[in-house]
Amino acid sequence: MSEIQRPAPGSAPGSAPGPASGPRGSLGVLAALDRRWIYLAMALAVAIPMLAPVRLPIVISKEVEAFHREIEALAPGDQVLFSFDYEPDVMAELDPMTEAILDRLFAKGIQVIAMTNYAGGVGIGQARLEAAARRHGKTYGTDYVFLGYNPDWSGTMLRLGESIKATFPVDQFGRPTAEIPLLATCDAYRDIELLVSIAGSQLSEFWAAYAGARYGQRMVSGNTAIQAIFIYPFYQSGQIKGFLGGLKGAAEYETLIERPAFGVRGMGSQSAGHLLIVALVIAGNVGYFLMRRKGLLQGNRLRAVERKGRS
Amino acid sequence: MSHDPSVWVTALLTLAIFSFLYRENRIFRFAEHLLVGVSAGYYVVQYFYSGVIKKMVIPMSQDLGANWVLLFGGLFGVLMFTRLSRRYGWAARYPIAFYVAAGAGYFIPSILEANVLKQIGGTLTAPAAAASPAAMISAFVLVAGVISCLIYFYFSVEHKGPVGTASRIGILFLMLGFGASFGYTVMGRITLLIGRFQFLFHDWLGWIG
Repeated sequence: MSEIQRPAPGSAPGSAPGPASGPRGSLGVLAALDRRWIYLAMALAVAIPMLAPVRLPIVISKEVEAFHREIEALAPGDQVLFSFDYEPDVMAELDPMTEAILDRLFAKGIQVIAMTNYAGGVGIGQARLEAAARRHGKTYGTDYVFLGYNPDWSGTMLRLGESIKATFPVDQFGRPTAEIPLLATCDAYRDIELLVSIAGSQLSEFWAAYAGARYGQRMVSGNTAIQAIFIYPFYQSGQIKGFLGGLKGAAEYETLIERPAFGVRGMGSQSAGHLLIVALVIAGNVGYFLMRRKGLLQGNRLRAVERKGRS
Repeated sequence: MSHDPSVWVTALLTLAIFSFLYRENRIFRFAEHLLVGVSAGYYVVQYFYSGVIKKMVIPMSQDLGANWVLLFGGLFGVLMFTRLSRRYGWAARYPIAFYVAAGAGYFIPSILEANVLKQIGGTLTAPAAAASPAAMISAFVLVAGVISCLIYFYFSVEHKGPVGTASRIGILFLMLGFGASFGYTVMGRITLLIGRFQFLFHDWLGWIG
């Protein structure tokens, strides 16, 4: 532990420069605080609510309510195009909503035509789809189908408006799509009731452009938190009918369909982590302004600390 | 605690990556290199299967007469690899030219409609579509925000007087946008940590249900 208190400069990622003749007292401690203490605090903030769960109230937002309405408006036998547009790096954010949506679709008797626009999404899509189908006793080929990955997402999105079978001559397992019963009467956007894009990137926006604007395909999306802010303009302009943003969106949807799972369970950790970040931002700013007022971070001294940090 | 070897491998690799937070070390570097190597292998196989086997080999082997045109796509794909040769690198320009031209052709109209025309329509009609006084206020704030942000980025007029005021209001809206973006980013990053901890505590150690 003594090493954590006094790290050798530059020995750890982001360790503070630690000026030897810097400010003293509590301000000095704050200025020279090793970032590893912050990592430890964050780990505790996330782990403790997980080990000792706290059930926090979950307020449903308008966009999640709209998403829910779109799914509930589907009738048994309707066909949904479900695109797993994410890779393992954002599984933690998007898997909870994916599982909740697939459960709801299968429970309602909706037929799912699944695909992915990412090579890394194949394993995720196949595993999530098969697990949900097993839970609901669904049969491959009649209740759901997995088309797999098709190179060039923009061309894929556009060509699906002409023919699913021409875009995907075979499914993920090499079976000709022309022989799959589910696709016998469904071959383009005009046959698809709703498009669901679960995306860890901008792909939901491109679905809105290529499938929505071009072919009038109705769509909803699930997005990572970082991406969610870019979806609001598409939601506001009615191009995306509803969306789930990050783990909070998943928690809200789980609450709406009365299926609390990973999203709801993660909200305690999420809130604790956020509170810690807010506290650190406030402490950092207060410390900075106090040091500036006391003349501890001015002119040559500031530049010297910055130079030392860079070297 | 899990008895599945794959869960143990995943858990130990997770801890190896976390060890970087303490300091750079060989275990972290091993895990990092392993990730790069496995990812490269996975993607090569996946791209080859999805792009060559599924899109060309299987359809052509089933019905060559109807699918012979796919050979041209395959040839264009092969030409891309000529970039690796100094002598024949020029041949790669043809598939690139085709790809850029086709891409621009179907990209521009769709993106213009979705990202510009429909957004303008959505913004301008928001006040008319408001169903309550609160929604009306929100819609006017939206319109004011869009116009003031556009003025901030309009550099053909000096930002003073009414234009300067509108520009400063635009900065406020931009700051609010950046703040919301930062909040969402924090949420995303914390979720990734939650995901790993859930895996360690639930799948590996079995501490939580």
